[in-house]
Amino acid sequence: MEKEFHHHPSRMPDNSAMKQQKLPAHQLHFSARVVLTIFFATGVFCFCMGVILILSAQSIQEIEINYTYICENCAKLRENAFNFDQKCTCSVPFYLQENMEGDVYMYYKLYGFYQNHYRYVLSRSNNQLVGKDIMDVEDCAPFKVSQNKTPIAPCGAIANSMFNDTIILSYTLKSSVHIQVPMLKTELTWWTDKYVKFQNPSLINLSDRFVGTEKPPYWQAPIYELDTSDPGNNGFLNDDFIVWMRTAAFPTFKKLYRRLYRVQYFMDGLPAGNYSFNISYNFPVTRIKGEKSVVLSTLTWSGGSSLFLGLAYTVTGAFLWLASFALMAIHMTMKKKKLSYRR
Amino acid sequence: MFCSKKKSLEVKRVVKANDREYNEKFQYADNRIHTSKYNLLTFLPINLFEQFQRVANAYFLFLLILQLIPEISSLTWFTTIVPLVLVITMTAVKDATDDYFRHKSDNQVNNRQSEVIIDSKLQNEKWMNVKVGDIVKLENNQFVAADLLLLSSSEPHGLCYIETAELDGETNLKVRHALSVTSELGEDISRLARFDGIVVCEAPNNKLDKFTGVLSWKDRKHSLNNQKIILRGCVLRNTSWCFGMVIFAGPDTKLMQNSGKTKFKRTSIDRLMNTLVLWIFGFLVCLGIILAIGNSIWENQVGGQFRTFLFWNEGEKNSVFSGFLTFWSYIIILNTVVPISLYVSVEVIRLGHSYFINWDRKMYYSGKATPAEARTTTLNEELGQIEYIFSDKTGTLTQNIMTFKKCSINGRIYAGEVHDDVGHKKAITKEKESVDFSVKTQAERTFQLFDHSLMESIKLGDPQVHEFLRLLALCHTVMSEENNAGQLIYQVQSPDEGALVTAARNFGFIFKSRTPETITIEELGTLVTYQLLAFLDFNNIRKRMSVIVRNPAGQIKLYSKGADTILFEKLHPSNEGLLSLTSDHLSEFAGEGLRTLVIAYRELDDKYFKEWHKMLEDANAATDKRDERITGLYEEIERDLMLLGATAIEDKLQEGVIETVTSLSLANIKIWVLTGDKQETAINIGYACNLLTDDMNDVFVISGNTAVEVREELRKAKENLFGHNRSFSNGHVVSENKQQLELDSVVEETITGDYALVINGHSLTVYDPWFITLFNIVYTSLPVLAMGIFDQDVSDKNSMDCPQLYEPGQLNQLFNKRRFFICMAHGLYTSLALFFIPFGAFYNVVGEDGQHAADYQSFAVTMATSLVIVVSVQIALDTSYWTVINHVFIWGSIATYFSILFTMHSNGIFEVFPNQFPFVGNAWHSLNQKCIWLVILLTTVASVIPVVAFRFLKMHLYPSLSDQIRQWQKAQKKAKPTSSRRPQTRRSSSRRSGYGFAHQEGYGELITSGKNMRVKNSPPTSGLEKTLYNSTNWIENLCKKTTDTVNSFSQDKAVKL
Repeated sequence: MEKEFHHHPSRMPDNSAMKQQKLPAHQLHFSARVVLTIFFATGVFCFCMGVILILSAQSIQEIEINYTYICENCAKLRENAFNFDQKCTCSVPFYLQENMEGDVYMYYKLYGFYQNHYRYVLSRSNNQLVGKDIMDVEDCAPFKVSQNKTPIAPCGAIANSMFNDTIILSYTLKSSVHIQVPMLKTELTWWTDKYVKFQNPSLINLSDRFVGTEKPPYWQAPIYELDTSDPGNNGFLNDDFIVWMRTAAFPTFKKLYRRLYRVQYFMDGLPAGNYSFNISYNFPVTRIKGEKSVVLSTLTWSGGSSLFLGLAYTVTGAFLWLASFALMAIHMTMKKKKLSYRR
Repeated sequence: MFCSKKKSLEVKRVVKANDREYNEKFQYADNRIHTSKYNLLTFLPINLFEQFQRVANAYFLFLLILQLIPEISSLTWFTTIVPLVLVITMTAVKDATDDYFRHKSDNQVNNRQSEVIIDSKLQNEKWMNVKVGDIVKLENNQFVAADLLLLSSSEPHGLCYIETAELDGETNLKVRHALSVTSELGEDISRLARFDGIVVCEAPNNKLDKFTGVLSWKDRKHSLNNQKIILRGCVLRNTSWCFGMVIFAGPDTKLMQNSGKTKFKRTSIDRLMNTLVLWIFGFLVCLGIILAIGNSIWENQVGGQFRTFLFWNEGEKNSVFSGFLTFWSYIIILNTVVPISLYVSVEVIRLGHSYFINWDRKMYYSGKATPAEARTTTLNEELGQIEYIFSDKTGTLTQNIMTFKKCSINGRIYAGEVHDDVGHKKAITKEKESVDFSVKTQAERTFQLFDHSLMESIKLGDPQVHEFLRLLALCHTVMSEENNAGQLIYQVQSPDEGALVTAARNFGFIFKSRTPETITIEELGTLVTYQLLAFLDFNNIRKRMSVIVRNPAGQIKLYSKGADTILFEKLHPSNEGLLSLTSDHLSEFAGEGLRTLVIAYRELDDKYFKEWHKMLEDANAATDKRDERITGLYEEIERDLMLLGATAIEDKLQEGVIETVTSLSLANIKIWVLTGDKQETAINIGYACNLLTDDMNDVFVISGNTAVEVREELRKAKENLFGHNRSFSNGHVVSENKQQLELDSVVEETITGDYALVINGHSLTVYDPWFITLFNIVYTSLPVLAMGIFDQDVSDKNSMDCPQLYEPGQLNQLFNKRRFFICMAHGLYTSLALFFIPFGAFYNVVGEDGQHAADYQSFAVTMATSLVIVVSVQIALDTSYWTVINHVFIWGSIATYFSILFTMHSNGIFEVFPNQFPFVGNAWHSLNQKCIWLVILLTTVASVIPVVAFRFLKMHLYPSLSDQIRQWQKAQKKAKPTSSRRPQTRRSSSRRSGYGFAHQEGYGELITSGKNMRVKNSPPTSGLEKTLYNSTNWIENLCKKTTDTVNSFSQDKAVKL
């Protein structure tokens, strides 16, 4: 017995900080003063932030023209799918009261278009779009193949439903002298989209690359003829196409369409005056009870931020202030109570 | 499987000794045991089957099946399968390791060696190869391999001693007794090998204290009972060898029959979690239904047209059907609501805690070099919720070491102030190692308590003192033995007596040896042999024992010791003065928690004794009313006693028992003590260790012999009592014993505090409705785990000092349904903030470069980032004890999130798997926008600040105890460190101890019959032979008397103090 007793001295657990739960530690203890300070400070910060955001949101100049019903005859024409090959143009004049200074961006904005529909979002083939395997239409249901079983390029519901109106902005320089406002259709997309995510299959002649495929059923032209004016802006690398393919989070969304090319009259932005949008009306929004509009907008430091964030910050800041006053009051009364107990 | 079928049919068992062929006919189980659940082949199917019985796992399997239906599938398959596989593998690995250790221990047990008679030779055989009917040889201190019928042993009359600690937790030795016909076989191998008795007995069962059977041998039948059976799990003690025949082997043994299947124990947290998971299912289904209805309406109003536009070739679809499909889709999407990983987290946290228990140096017992051991990893949070402790007395509360502390001789207290010096303490720890049957000599050598006045009195030859010590040396049932070194060794049946005899020895009255008719003692250097004329044995009603001896001078004296209440009534009237003095002393002793005995003697004249002795012999020979007549005669002679004094023995409490019990009761834990002691002893110990205190006026002692009685008494107790302190006295409750074994360790684990549950529902918020990320588990589980494992809301010292901290755990205040709903509400709020703030902000937003920024992917990235940050901040706020590990995990998980995010959104991975990782460039682009960081910041502030405010209010308005202590702790840090606040004084009470002997009746007869004496020690005398003949059935008497005593216990139940 005694021998055994001396045999096991090593069973004593190690005296390491880890094993004895004695790891050096600091304990967070929020005293009333710390909590109240945090509340006040955060409140001040949020409030200031909110004010800044609101001010900068208000500095943005924006003009939106909803042309769904202005071009009513076109809208009616498009409601019938069989008229898809008939062209329809419409002109929407408007007056710009103030100069829009700086960079001006032109967007198209859709209402009630569910680009976030979960089956819609999945109906695309990244493998195809990156040019790896043009015949890969695996995930594109229900637009995998055309009626004669040839694969569609670009396949899928997203590509098929691409926005295909053409919008041209013209400026009335003098009465009856209309000039087209120069617009850029480059750098509309994320760098990674343009140079990583979307690639044309590698062959010299673009149309050859899409041999054996068919255009999506809603499209008027095949993918390699999207931009007849710029041969480099075709295929999967077409900027408008890439922009469309980045699906929106909400049913109301605006997507970048053109950037103002700041030359000549437009060096400092858009001068005030008479303008008109010349629209070739192809996209049938009325069929889905949606609407569409065109937006001209300038930017500020945080982008084209909406009022919401500013308001939210202001409200949060105000709440924090209120709360911190309330907490302070409670703290004071409790302290008094404690003191009176002690006495 | 086959044998279990057969077993259910077995109604009686027939076993023939030394005849394997004969026994094989019955296909009895062999001695191999397996407690393991799986083997290599069965592991996968059985384990998977078990795991899928869990609701959450089954649910995920169901989800997986749903996802295979393309119409419904809303998420890719790996979102479900990855967590599921992760969870299942982890559990499987844990189960497998557990089972591996079970296999290992099984193997170790199965491969133990034992000696078996095969082919008329004693051969070594592994335990697992031992068969029913084999004759096995056991040696001292060996474990018994199977349930054996004792055939013969080294001790006279086929006696052997066993310790049954493994079976019932009792550490005192028990006697087993072979049939006299078989004990003659001795260790003659050839005779044993020829033994061909047939045992017919009951079928295997789990009753440890019952056995019925018949041995047929040489045309005679001998009935067998439990006294002849040695059970597997016992240890042979104080017997150098014995032979036994295997009756039950392996799984049929009573030990294994008792162990049964290892039941899966669930903690209350588990049960609560299961309920909550069911509720979450309900919630999920409701959510699914609401969303499906919404979908139907949308589909009807808007979506129909939109869908036909988008998916023109699909044609019209019923909106109700679409709703139905959507329902299932949502069930899949919202699967993260179901906290599957919570189970894993909880399990990991438990594992961590059990390691902390094992590692804790404060729970290390240096005396036996044993660290605390968490036997199961599934139950340890229950340690924070204990309401009742069932405790054994001997060995748990007390050390079962008796020390002679004080005595009062002739109205004078000796050895009054003796302090435990270091040497003494050392002796105690050593002594504890030894079995209580034989107190080793070194204990005596270091036994040094005497104040010099007693020594002087002895030297001066004070006759009263001499008589006192002589009595201690003469009146007992101790057996002496000389070991090889020539040292005296006492074999004591009760440690009380050992203490007294040892005390006498240290004062120069050394008990040397005894025969059935004589007792030899050495009185201050001279050997004196007394003739033992009569032995008036102890029993529970008499509460005293006496011996009548004749000294060499021819004087006959009766020496008696016993409980004060009894002996004081037997005193000669002339003792009155001394009586009141001694009585005061007794009260004083009792107040110190000592066990007292009163000592008295009587001188008898020859003639009177002879008459009495004759009457006794007549009574002994009588057939009817034998016991009553004997009792009457005992009463008759034990009167007119002269009081000598009293002894006080300390029943050593385990170290720290008082402190532990005090803090346990402060922590509102109710303690039940199970003991086989006399009620008085039990109550006395109860007072000694603060279990009972003077201000409890209702103490209920429950003593009952059967389960029914106990239940009945408990019911009564409930009616009678408001207080909750019950001492439970029962000799035979086996089922409770099992519990008690586990609980022993709990009592030793005095650190109870800080394992209070920290696994609150925080992890639930992580999984709250709506955002679907596959990597939820990876990002947020580690900080939660770190917090669960390492958090200490109150320092260990303070939690020890303030046992009241324990109560919230008992009352389930830390995690209950209300808490759960608060967490749910919090989660709901967080998820709303997480959705609507980015939603509003994204509604009309454009990027800094004028590009479209409100795309679906950016939105997802923003939300995910906000979520991870919010959750991390939340956990950081909940962590009150920041160790390095917490830092690493919290910062690490944020870092991991970002690195995984950037990896998944990198060009490289996209180029390899363009279809799987379509988020290319997203993280980089989105997180470059100031606007998105502003959104994240606002989301974090909005979701965290209300929580902080809520806590602040709670702490100010309704501070919990741990809050207060934390505050105090903080204040304390500034002030000087103070010493432990709890006073450690010993209770002093005026309670009078009513001590009865802590030993069994019947040993007197054993002594006078000489049964337990070795033949060489006891020269045969005619008297011995006579008594031998007389008492062949002494052991039956012993048993009968034992049951009598037990019955008498139950008669005086319900004692109110």
